Amino acid sequence: MSVAELKERHMAAAETVNSLKERLKQRRLLLLDTDVAGYARSQGQTRVSFGPTDLVCCRTLQGHTGKVYSLDWTPERNRIVSASQDGRLIVWNALTSQKTHAIKLPCAWVMTCAFSPSGQSVACGGLDSMCSIFNLNSQTDKDGNLPVSRMLSGHKGYVSSCQYVPDEDTHLITASGDQTCVLWDITTGLRTSVFGGEFQSGHTADVLSVSINESNSRMFISGSCDSTVRLWDTRVASRAVRTFHGHEGDVNAVKFFPDGHRFGTGSDDGTCRLFDIRTGHQLQEYNQQHDDNEAPHVTSIAFSTSGRLLFAGYTNGDCYVWDTLLAEVVLDLGKLQNSHDSRISCLGLSADGSALCTGSWDSNLKIWAFGGHRRVN
Amino acid sequence: MVASKSNGSAPPSSLPPPQPRSPPQFPDLYGKRRELARVQMLQREIGFLDEELKSLESIPPSSRSCKEVADFVTGNVDPLIPTIKKTRRSCRFWKWLCGMCCFDVSWICCCRCSCDLSIPWCCDCMTCNSCSNPCQNCGLPACQCFPCCSSKCFKKWKCSLKCRSSSCCMPKRSCCPTCSFTRCTCYPKCPNLNICSCCHKSCCFPCYYCM
Repeated sequence: MSVAELKERHMAAAETVNSLKERLKQRRLLLLDTDVAGYARSQGQTRVSFGPTDLVCCRTLQGHTGKVYSLDWTPERNRIVSASQDGRLIVWNALTSQKTHAIKLPCAWVMTCAFSPSGQSVACGGLDSMCSIFNLNSQTDKDGNLPVSRMLSGHKGYVSSCQYVPDEDTHLITASGDQTCVLWDITTGLRTSVFGGEFQSGHTADVLSVSINESNSRMFISGSCDSTVRLWDTRVASRAVRTFHGHEGDVNAVKFFPDGHRFGTGSDDGTCRLFDIRTGHQLQEYNQQHDDNEAPHVTSIAFSTSGRLLFAGYTNGDCYVWDTLLAEVVLDLGKLQNSHDSRISCLGLSADGSALCTGSWDSNLKIWAFGGHRRVN
Repeated sequence: MVASKSNGSAPPSSLPPPQPRSPPQFPDLYGKRRELARVQMLQREIGFLDEELKSLESIPPSSRSCKEVADFVTGNVDPLIPTIKKTRRSCRFWKWLCGMCCFDVSWICCCRCSCDLSIPWCCDCMTCNSCSNPCQNCGLPACQCFPCCSSKCFKKWKCSLKCRSSSCCMPKRSCCPTCSFTRCTCYPKCPNLNICSCCHKSCCFPCYYCM
């Protein structure tokens, strides 16, 4: 077959793909008989209300000298690791605000960090296209720096996101600018599986975020600059289980809903959305109208333990607390006292759900917790 | 002379005259394979989309998923959400009961768990935020020692309990499997103690507010 014939076939196939996608979209619309907010209102749900001191900033973690890009809590809940433009990872005791480790990175261009499930190690990745693992119990070298215990190399683009597989200190999933996600075996330093790639059914642009399902750690989702989210099964790397369309911009953040059957997203289009992984339905859009028609991008998201609250950080410094059932903003942490001075770049909830940590380009991290009374009227 | 003739004049007649070569029929074999791979990829994609279209026939409408979300959200407690319960009468009852005397009334909250409020211990020895560990008067650990409803401090320690199963309150310590007394690190320093709303007063979340 000649190249010209192949090109013709390619064009025909591309047209078929587009028409099938359109048919899918139309069929899906017919199945969307309501959204979460519509259903909740029909059931008489009322919105969550916060008093002025119910959710308060109770700690400011100061120590970074550059923009904070990423943070992660330990599963045993009172420690946080943060990554910053200053080229350091800092491990914090969230209860005392003390720093337990300040790790100078061989490559300062860090973008993401993660705590291992046991809390013994931290991982980070960035523009060096590698994922570095640090054992927090290692001896420091003569300059007082913690040595890298393992370098995971193989990505052909920057490492934008990493997360340890729950309950496994030896496995980690990374997302990369090379359009792939990789499951790593940290013990050997080798790639166990590559998800997507040039001739695989995967993302067609940079992958920016990953989230592993806590209730089924074989499943994970990835958000990408191709405006889609893909659901992957770690046992089947050749194709995504499902692709979720809807966003009209880069998907910067993805996070599983606490029940493990749904997930939330945050995008450059200024919206957060809730998708169902079994049906593929978009169940809700969380969108705040802005006067100037230029919605700030969503940089990061997290759900509270019940799933009732969705925390979303925005490029303009806002940090909305969405009532997920009614799709209403019930609080803006960015407008409270002691809030950040700049863009919220990352946020995360402690394992027990009692505290939220936000990281910002103002170089600080802040811990927010319930400061009110458990009221019985 | 012979040699100079053969080198300098006419070329040997056996060699063909130089001609420009025509380009090969497929100049870029790699490009062809690449194009083929792209077509195959799209054909696979068409297969996946066909599968997805077929699967949509058996997928329930979104309302079912919305119901699942609402059920999950409302069925789980959340340490970051204010708990407001319309149990004013019950509270009055507890205030009255607790104000009359200080004793362990937790046994009341153990039968099929129909109650919404439990104030198992209280101690009139306490003034606000002054309970030593253990309390010198009643001997209870600080986390268990709460002011009586009648005391002026009571309003700071109100604890709600919403029982969700018959095993919720018996035994009391297994009410919330993740809790332990040692986590009540903030009492008595913190007047805004985060008391676990799913459980009784002895299980509370680590207090990020007061330390």
